[in-house]
Amino acid sequence: MTREIYRLEGVSYSYGRYPALRDVDLVVEEGESIAILGANGSGKSTLLKLLDGLIFPTEGTLLAFGRPVTEENLSGGFLAEFRKRIGFVFHEPDVQLFCPTVFDELSFGPLQLDLPVEEVKKRVSDLMGMLGLHSLRDRPPYTLSSGEKKKVALASVLTVNPDVLLMDEPTNGLDPRTQVWLFELIEALRGFNKTFIIATHDLSLVEDLTDRVVLLDEAHRVVADGDTVDILRDKDLLLRTNIIHEHPHRHGDVVHIHSHGPYAGHDEHE
Amino acid sequence: MNLPEWLKVSVPALTPERGVKEPGFIKKNLEEIASLMRWMMDTEESAGRRGLLQTFDPRARILGILFLVVATAVTGNTIGFVSIMIIILLLSYLSSVGITDMVGRVLPSFVFTGVMVLPALLSIVTPGTHILTIMIGTKEIGITYEGLRTAGTLLVRVTMMVSLVALLLLTTRQADLFTGLRGLPVPAFLVTALFMAFRYIFILLRMAEDVNLARRSRTIDHGLLRDTQGWFASRIAFFVERSMKMAEDISMAMCSRGFTGEIKGMDMDGMKRRDYLWLGGTSFVFFIILGLY
Repeated sequence: MTREIYRLEGVSYSYGRYPALRDVDLVVEEGESIAILGANGSGKSTLLKLLDGLIFPTEGTLLAFGRPVTEENLSGGFLAEFRKRIGFVFHEPDVQLFCPTVFDELSFGPLQLDLPVEEVKKRVSDLMGMLGLHSLRDRPPYTLSSGEKKKVALASVLTVNPDVLLMDEPTNGLDPRTQVWLFELIEALRGFNKTFIIATHDLSLVEDLTDRVVLLDEAHRVVADGDTVDILRDKDLLLRTNIIHEHPHRHGDVVHIHSHGPYAGHDEHE
Repeated sequence: MNLPEWLKVSVPALTPERGVKEPGFIKKNLEEIASLMRWMMDTEESAGRRGLLQTFDPRARILGILFLVVATAVTGNTIGFVSIMIIILLLSYLSSVGITDMVGRVLPSFVFTGVMVLPALLSIVTPGTHILTIMIGTKEIGITYEGLRTAGTLLVRVTMMVSLVALLLLTTRQADLFTGLRGLPVPAFLVTALFMAFRYIFILLRMAEDVNLARRSRTIDHGLLRDTQGWFASRIAFFVERSMKMAEDISMAMCSRGFTGEIKGMDMDGMKRRDYLWLGGTSFVFFIILGLY
């Protein structure tokens, strides 16, 4: 039987008088791989921050592992349990890499969570080997390339071995080779019952790596929640929520209008 | 899409060149500040050379240099100054630190201190034996021997202290410096705050350069000074806002990985015999100087 990870009931969040999320209902179960899809400013990052207990709902209830995620709850013993189980890969690696060296960066999380030093060293060494980071061990993270920074940011979260991985635009700014590497890593981790919640508008990632899509519209509401294939096939819904667009396209001498997105084959216009 | 008519017209051919304008003060200042800071803080190359100081544990290096800095601060006689000067030169030579690297880092503080101590030369600040007298109206102002001595001592002292710190920075990789500080009884939070200030200043500096470049790509004239100052003030406000947003995001990233207000780190390996010898030597110099004082 699968375990319930998150339950959101009527969750809203506002930045002052600007709403970022409105009336969100969502249940996430263990082992699911979910894409949070939405146009820029639809509230994807805010939703991830709520799920990581970094901000708290202004309205509604958020439960994680059956317990309410509130400021009071996350100041006690539940905090360490919560942080051990949930990892967040931020959109901007520069924000996430704040330690003097790559080694310090990878060991930061497990050390804060009181893991034994020998275990921390082993985890860091294993991950460096797995991700090919040994040569970067003593480098300051800000001297790394964008792809390397992204790898280190991901590794710094993986050293805690969280059950749930929240990822904000993980493929943003990555070259094709690093994107493939990331896809393979996520695919490998999915085999071990990890739960992925990925905020993105990279539809190739959604199509390849997720089974479920939660779609936010520009009014910051969940407008669809269902099977990835079903949602990606619903062209009208994707157009309405500004996930795909239609524009003139040239094929040799022929110019026609069609949408850009998954399952939007040219043949439908012929 | 229907384009407006003016958007369909190409720009006519280039007109003959009418002289080259000097770049504006913002561009010059930003670029020079950025390049100076990068040069001053980029010590990876010199820290990676083979040399005496580079072989010591970062903690021993910091502590030893600290002994010498304090010795410079307390010494008041020529023997003390000359001894420490010889030590600085010897350490620079044995640690393969080039004269250009040292002078480049020490010169700004030398000039700044020199300007600051200038008034101390005058008899109205430091009375004493005149070695040069100037008449201003009926008032006599002179440069005194005592003033020269006081200003000279301060200038030499500051220059030597800055030289010692430059020597430490030039022989220590940034990561080792912060690791070393963490190994000493310096509050972990202070070390992290120092590191972050150091780290994120470059990101903000890069952003400032980009903002300036974006403006230059859309302007063909410097415009009125008042407009430029207005733009500059608005960008400062923008950077304050961006810095605060970045600080908030970094704080969230730290909390997300288990930070609760106290940074927990790994214990460092023990120091070696050579580190203790270096500490013994520098503390010996410190106590001798203290005795002379």
